[in-house]
Amino acid sequence: MIRRAAVTLVATAAVVLTAAGCEGGAIGQSTALSNGQSFVSGTGTTFLDAARRPKAPEISAKTLTGSRLSLSHYRGSVVVLNFWGSWCGPCRAEAPDLAALASRYRSRGVRFLGIDIQDNPANAKAFMHTFRVTYPSFNDPGDEIALEFRQTVPPAAIPTTLVIDRSGRIAARIVGGATYNGLKALLVKVLGAHAAGASQ
Amino acid sequence: MSRGPAGGNVREADSPAAAARTGEPSEAEVLAEATAPEPGSPAAGVQAPSPSGLGLIGWLRWAWRQLTSMRTALILLFLLAIASVPGPVLPQEGIDPSAVTQYYTAHPALAPILNKLSLFNVFAAPWFAAIYLLLFLSLAGCVLPRTFRLAGSARQKPPRAPRYLARLPLSASYATALTPAQALESGGRKLAGKRFRLRTGDGWISAEKGYLREIGNLLFHIALLALLASVGLGGIFGYKANRLLVAGQSFADTPTALDTYHPGRLVSATDLAPFSVTLNNFRATYVTSGPEQNQPLTFNAALSYNRSPGDPVQHYNLQVNRPLVIDGVSIYLIGHGYAPEFTVTDGAGKVVFSGAVPFIPVDQSGLTSEGVVKVSDASPTQLGFAGVFLPTAADENGQLVSVFPAPLQPRVSLVSYAGNLGLNSGPSQSVYQLDTSGMHRLAVAPRPLSVGQSITLPNREGKLTFTGYRQWISLAITHDPGQLPALISALVALGGLILSFMVRRRRVFLRAAAGPDGRTIVDFGGLARSDAAGGFEVEFAELAEELRTAQDGVTQAGVTKAGGDEPETSQDDKSPDDPVPAAAGTEPGGSAPSSGNHQALGPAEDANGE
Repeated sequence: MIRRAAVTLVATAAVVLTAAGCEGGAIGQSTALSNGQSFVSGTGTTFLDAARRPKAPEISAKTLTGSRLSLSHYRGSVVVLNFWGSWCGPCRAEAPDLAALASRYRSRGVRFLGIDIQDNPANAKAFMHTFRVTYPSFNDPGDEIALEFRQTVPPAAIPTTLVIDRSGRIAARIVGGATYNGLKALLVKVLGAHAAGASQ
Repeated sequence: MSRGPAGGNVREADSPAAAARTGEPSEAEVLAEATAPEPGSPAAGVQAPSPSGLGLIGWLRWAWRQLTSMRTALILLFLLAIASVPGPVLPQEGIDPSAVTQYYTAHPALAPILNKLSLFNVFAAPWFAAIYLLLFLSLAGCVLPRTFRLAGSARQKPPRAPRYLARLPLSASYATALTPAQALESGGRKLAGKRFRLRTGDGWISAEKGYLREIGNLLFHIALLALLASVGLGGIFGYKANRLLVAGQSFADTPTALDTYHPGRLVSATDLAPFSVTLNNFRATYVTSGPEQNQPLTFNAALSYNRSPGDPVQHYNLQVNRPLVIDGVSIYLIGHGYAPEFTVTDGAGKVVFSGAVPFIPVDQSGLTSEGVVKVSDASPTQLGFAGVFLPTAADENGQLVSVFPAPLQPRVSLVSYAGNLGLNSGPSQSVYQLDTSGMHRLAVAPRPLSVGQSITLPNREGKLTFTGYRQWISLAITHDPGQLPALISALVALGGLILSFMVRRRRVFLRAAAGPDGRTIVDFGGLARSDAAGGFEVEFAELAEELRTAQDGVTQAGVTKAGGDEPETSQDDKSPDDPVPAAAGTEPGGSAPSSGNHQALGPAEDANGE
């Protein structure tokens, strides 16, 4: 009886808050309370100097459309890696900006890739259709890809966006929704820094 | 035997009270003395209790003494207990954020105020930390000096034996044929054999025992300190998280995969144990009849997991209070429920939603569960559904209810909405609530769906099909490196407390001198330094009897007595109406021994205490 009461109590509690939107909290710390659900601050941008950039892990996994894709395939390009989910509000808010930047920077050797987290392929595909996302996304229902990044600059919330430089090292991270101008500034920095490094 | 030296003796060491005062300044009364200020401190009685007129240093010293006083420690301990009260009373963000949300809805005016006071996160509140740190400081400030004092007193020899042992609370006397030296020697051996610490002098032996009492007391305080430190350790290096897992789903221990995540101050995402867990299936059984009907009997969650990517997959049968432990991280089964599965096609005939949606139980007896389905990529407009899942649906007076928690007759009843879900503008939304402010209700008569049935929306806005259901479990994931140290500290504290209650600090004295008839008169006196546990009288009597028998002694008439008279200290200490007994032997034996003992020790303890 008591056990049951306890179980239900905790269960209900735990459950209700569960996927309260895009969870995770800001980097490192649990988030402030605002009407009871934690959410992600969009200002968590980190930029790393060339010397401090950790190597991005090797990823080779199935995409939402079922084909196999490897991150190493993109070596030589600047890669924008976006962790998202169709159920996540900030992901929906940033999606148009990401799609626009993807087509605008394609000619400059920037490639966009998504990592669809805790999602259902049908819902994810509908999301991509809505926002005219043309770049591929890995399907990561069990967080295996997210886990691969744990020793680098791990995604701390959904969405998280990583910028990987041409040599396959993580140059920047945006925790929370990315904005057109914010991400563009990072891309310019990473593209430019590489050009400077190459000319030396 | 000149009067002069004797008088000197009386003043210096003949009085147990004096002995207690000089010999042992830090007698340990279990808690009451943790504060025992150093001699000369304001709290020590006559000295100025107010620091007025002191300089900055004086004020600081005064503040430090106040902080480390027992009274302050007790007040802080009490405050800590009171401060914990809101924890179980109010919903806590760290344990149950959803309940906090509900509280906000129920008390819109009060909740923000409570939040400002950190009452939804009591154990992380600044004022809680303040109490905790002050208590820590207070204990540390009391324990450290005491440790040094104990070390000092352990090296100290027992005090000299008083001259007139008959005046001690407990005394005995007998005559023996041994010479005084022999009597002392054999008596000393006896006492040493009973682990008394001895000091010998000219014609006397002074023995003391029971240092374990102070050690136990100190152990208690140190363990309390360690307990506080362990709890702090857990808060700094541990983390807590929750995750709801639908059967067939997997998750990994990484922040993006967790529903709530509360890391300690020094925990970063790279510190999380990189395990993955899959819920293969969940089974609950319930009582089917009798007064306990609908009560759950068993919960079994079949998990497969691996410690880190690439490790072999292992299996575990998770049950309530039988957590899965992976690399020091405990995973508890704390809840369960149903997740009906839906497929939604939009007006264009495209599948825009497919999957299981966790519904939250609102009624425990029948597990009636509420939930929402958000179809944010439907065209022409977004769709939303809100409703209930009924594991065993039944019609009760025209109302649809669930009468049993197992899925015997599962039904879903939903209200349909179309419009703007409010998701695309960016803010995080609870997946369990539908914001209908931008939506309109569709004119579909809600009817309970069984598996396979659909709702067709008007105006070709789409169709929802109830395709099945799964079960989900909720998991509490905790890593608390302070847990084991806390347990050990608590046990040590208990042990120390027991020790300090059970062990008495006591002294016995032996004097042997040649009597008038050529035999040796042996005087034996005893004094318990603390009376927390009675029974010294018995021990003393046994000891006296043993000594007497060993030395083949003959009890002096009426000599064994227990307490009664205030031992003579010095002329000025003696109250005028205190009849100084002419001879101890005349004192009637066995007159209220314990109360006598208390009286005799009273002044000593007082002088010793605050």
